[in-house]
Amino acid sequence: MDSISSDAARDGSICDEAIVLSVTSALAKDALSYFQSGKFHECIDILIQLNHKKRNDPKVLHNIAIAEYFKNACSNSKKLLEDLNTVKKQSEEFAKEPLEAVNPGSNVSVSKHQFDSTITTLNIAVTWFHLHQYAKCLSILDPLFLNIEPLDETIALQICFLMLDSALACHDAVKFLEVFGHLDKSFGVGFGTHEEIGSTMQLSSNQVSKTSSLLSSSAASDALKSDLAAAESGLCEEGLEYDNVLAEIEAEKRMKPVGHIPANNLLKTIGERSILTVDVKLELQLYKVRFLLLTRNVKLAKREVKHAMNIAQKRDSSMALLLKSQLEYAHGNHRKAIKLLLVSGIQKELRTSGIFNNNLGCIYYQLGKYQAASVLFSKALRNCSSLRKDNPVKLFSLSQDKSLLITYNCGVLYLACGKPLLAAQCFQKASLVFCRQPLLWLRIAECCILALQKGLLEEGNTSSDRSEIRVHVIGKGKWRQLMMEENGFVELGGSAQWPKLSLPLARVCLSNSMYLLNVSLMNDYSKSDLESPLSVMINETKEASWSDHGDADTNSELKEAKGGMNQDIIQNSLSAYKDIRRRENHLLKQALLANMAYVELELENPIKALSAANSLLQLPDCSKIYVFLGHIYAAEALCLLNRPGEAGAHLSAYLLGQEDFKLPFAQEDFDPWRMNMSSDCEETSDCSTGNARDSLKPEEARGALFANLAALFATQGHYDQARPFIQHALALLPSNVQATITAVYIDLMVGRSEDAVARLKQCTRVSFVPGRLEVRAS
Amino acid sequence: MTIMKMEETAVVWTLLQSDLRPIQDVLSEFNSKFTRSRYFPVCSSLSILLQARALVPLPLPSSVLDFVTDPMILRSTDRLIAFAIMHQCYSSHKPSLNPFISEMINAACNEQAERYERAFLLHLFQWNSYNNAKEILKLSGADYIKTFDPSTNEFPELGELQREYGNKADGPSSHMFADYALKKLLHDPDVPRGCDPNSPEFDVQVQPGGISKIGSGDRNEAVSGILGSLTMGGLAPRWIRPCPPRYPVHQSELLWIDPDNKHELVWDDKMCADTSRGATVRDLLIKGLKVTLSPTEQEDITTALANDPKLVYHCGITPRKLPQLVEHNPQIAVEILTKLINSPEIVDYFTALVSMEMSLHSMEVVNRLTTAVELPKEFIRMFITNCISSCENAKQQDKYMQNRLVRLVCVFLQSLIRNNIIDVKDLFIEVQAFCIDFSRVREAAGLFRLLKTLE
Repeated sequence: MDSISSDAARDGSICDEAIVLSVTSALAKDALSYFQSGKFHECIDILIQLNHKKRNDPKVLHNIAIAEYFKNACSNSKKLLEDLNTVKKQSEEFAKEPLEAVNPGSNVSVSKHQFDSTITTLNIAVTWFHLHQYAKCLSILDPLFLNIEPLDETIALQICFLMLDSALACHDAVKFLEVFGHLDKSFGVGFGTHEEIGSTMQLSSNQVSKTSSLLSSSAASDALKSDLAAAESGLCEEGLEYDNVLAEIEAEKRMKPVGHIPANNLLKTIGERSILTVDVKLELQLYKVRFLLLTRNVKLAKREVKHAMNIAQKRDSSMALLLKSQLEYAHGNHRKAIKLLLVSGIQKELRTSGIFNNNLGCIYYQLGKYQAASVLFSKALRNCSSLRKDNPVKLFSLSQDKSLLITYNCGVLYLACGKPLLAAQCFQKASLVFCRQPLLWLRIAECCILALQKGLLEEGNTSSDRSEIRVHVIGKGKWRQLMMEENGFVELGGSAQWPKLSLPLARVCLSNSMYLLNVSLMNDYSKSDLESPLSVMINETKEASWSDHGDADTNSELKEAKGGMNQDIIQNSLSAYKDIRRRENHLLKQALLANMAYVELELENPIKALSAANSLLQLPDCSKIYVFLGHIYAAEALCLLNRPGEAGAHLSAYLLGQEDFKLPFAQEDFDPWRMNMSSDCEETSDCSTGNARDSLKPEEARGALFANLAALFATQGHYDQARPFIQHALALLPSNVQATITAVYIDLMVGRSEDAVARLKQCTRVSFVPGRLEVRAS
Repeated sequence: MTIMKMEETAVVWTLLQSDLRPIQDVLSEFNSKFTRSRYFPVCSSLSILLQARALVPLPLPSSVLDFVTDPMILRSTDRLIAFAIMHQCYSSHKPSLNPFISEMINAACNEQAERYERAFLLHLFQWNSYNNAKEILKLSGADYIKTFDPSTNEFPELGELQREYGNKADGPSSHMFADYALKKLLHDPDVPRGCDPNSPEFDVQVQPGGISKIGSGDRNEAVSGILGSLTMGGLAPRWIRPCPPRYPVHQSELLWIDPDNKHELVWDDKMCADTSRGATVRDLLIKGLKVTLSPTEQEDITTALANDPKLVYHCGITPRKLPQLVEHNPQIAVEILTKLINSPEIVDYFTALVSMEMSLHSMEVVNRLTTAVELPKEFIRMFITNCISSCENAKQQDKYMQNRLVRLVCVFLQSLIRNNIIDVKDLFIEVQAFCIDFSRVREAAGLFRLLKTLE
């Protein structure tokens, strides 16, 4: 009985509501049309009227926030974020209330609909994306993605594309694949007959099992190569298959009456490359290429980009050409890359000319033409700033500002040119985007070290600068607590001014970098933990599987037998990429520890230097170069700690017989540093010289061993033993200051002061400075 | 960085040269001109200056002894004043806390040194009978030397003094390089050895504009030069510390930029929008919870769901309502469930299906679902277990109903087995027991035979 009467009551209210609804929906339409024609003042007026009629409707408030933002020429992103977050919170609260209040018989989904905050969340993510906070953007979109099935197609597509772009920016291949897989699946055969659904289900479960089997094999890069070779043979048909699927989607779409796709009217008017007009097929193909480029699977990318070109033939092919250019760039074919970049025509458009200049700058950098690269980068920056100034209102989008990315490139360039101060400025600006990237912090530390070498550091670090432990005093009176903090992430930059370059800054940066690296390694570890226990095991037994070629081969055969799926290739790329990342992280860790040891020695902190050097030496599969540095730093730290015996042990690891040292590493040892270059890179020599230009030479390293062992003998009073070593050292490093001083010391100690002075006179780096008496003779 | 400032070296040098003033006066002037914090630098400089002649390495190797005859740079009176300053600076502490105590002890015990100098130091230490430091300090340096009794010959051994005053610590240096550091002052080997710099031969006045005579030189110049350019630390063997190479720039580190999709802010066009989307379907479904819908009504729902793939999420069928729909309109329920298969909430719907009362319709729904989509194995298993237990529970109620249910379950199971939806092995014992229990039912016997053939 109750329910009947309440039903009746609802019917009555529905009648009233219907009238209100017609009025408000008319107003809403007006607001939208004003918004679309860029009349934001009028739009906001109407929205305010609406807000009076429907008190605190989150959707109205949301649209007010958006319109306000555009009215203010997209200038106040912070306010927009605040407004949107308030709206989101509000609608979430509203969404809870009716659920509790309403009796089970009523239709909940209506009220749910009204307080759905999907669009608000999406807009928050879009804003963060344009503020370059890609990780944040991803984490905001994640919950939407988890429940993406019920969402309207347009919105879902928008969410997915935003996630794809963010994942690319974060170099998060796993996340990318997750989203890409969904797009591939659901926008392909997501809505068909039962049979189709059944088949996709099976398909996806197959994928899962294959993924895990793939993961198990992929740790070995050799296995991967053979996999790829095997996969390539079957690739052409697969590509076709993929094409067919996409063609089907297209056909299906065309057949459907337009009205069924809930059109977001705004999108239509934005034009250019907005979602609705975007050719999903081409777009997916381009994303696929970008994924392959991200995972550095150059060969496959080459094939896929051809497909993209085919698809794009009748349409806008600039994006495909640009990717092709990037591909050639990644492949080391710089001339070809330049040609394609020019053909893509993006330099003609104001919006993309900055991008053109930046990319060309990258190519010139790789060609070793730093001057030209520098000109191009600064041109790109000018393009960006002129774009910003020109017409923010007319440009109906948030500013597509890439200047921070270009600034990072400038930093890399300046560092390579030996301009640490400028480089550091660039990196510090770019830290707004890259502050979670370990490499950025290493680069800043390198700026400090380079500045030290060039004598650009300011003297006189106060002792407080040097302190490594911060104790935060929290609370007052009897509640006062002390919180110790060491080696955490030190927040630098942001609103506060960056400190000047110094060794303590280098130390902080290195420790930040190490912290971030460890965090990311831990994340990777726990992620793979969730994915499948198998993959973790593989990580642990990596070395075993490295040598286990036989196993991997059978695995690839197995896959071939299954008739390698499109997904296979992608998963293959992913695991190869994971492998590359692992090696890169390993190299980064070595570099960080070596730099830490160096900086601590410079800061006269032998204990820390020793511990960094020891950690470096304990790393498995260390590069020979870093092993050498580890020994040298450890030995010096031990000397400073009065443990000459152990120091000697570090040095004599390289002894050949009694009096000779072998080369601690060969020039080829710089090669693993280039391991990531594709094997058949055509212009490798250009880029490698860039890297090796100012690095340590093996002969110099050998000289350092001689000189240091001589110094060690000298401090222990074994001058006779020291002499031949220092002779060798000076033969290898004739103008080395330290070796000369050690030689002079030894000469003096054995009473040959004439020899000492003669030596000083010979050394090109000694200057006899006249006394300063005259200056103050009075 | 030099130890002393320009002005300071001038002051120190004048003080050292005041050989005619009482030493006490010199000391008090020193006190008035230097603050405590400058004591260490000044004394360090003095200590080096005191040893400066040609070459005085700290750990004295035997081979350098032949240089010792070289003249000192400081004159005898200067040396006394220097020692007095070094002593006075730290006189408020125990002698062992004086950082320069070992130098002073060494000087006091140096056989080659002048006796008056050694005696002077012993007075400063107040060693045994040498206790009139006060008196001595009232004299000027020159007077002290003049009045010194050369017959004094009671000098202690080095060890004795060290035991008395020596400090155990190794001084300000902290590590081996520093410990073995040489004083940096080096006699220029081009100056002939043994030439007496005090010889008047060199002190010829240089005519203005004239060329100075070779070998001429000013001692003042040398001393203040030394004072002015002394730096802390000594000459030690140096370690080569190679700088770590720069981390290689991979081509992917340079950021290649693609124009990305224009990610625009989205206008929420659901604002005040008609929320009646799918209202007819919703109404029909509400009706369908209570009665069986007519074929046309069913078709309406099916087409509406097919036209709008997202409508299924908004049609109002929650897991809680699912059992009612299954009972009255199993076909529609199948339709909805297949469309929801990708939904994250599908598990809740399955749970509702498993926990509802067994009936022909629920089995029909599951059976049809198995052919349409891939169901989780766990779900099918639970469903079957549930079916079997419902049959057993039906015993107490109605024999007819029970038989009916058993037959249904048997047909359902056979269908599942024939279509390879379930693996019999997983449920063999359970199903076998079920067949034996109800062997009186014809279908159960048939199922049993089917099981046997599969075995």
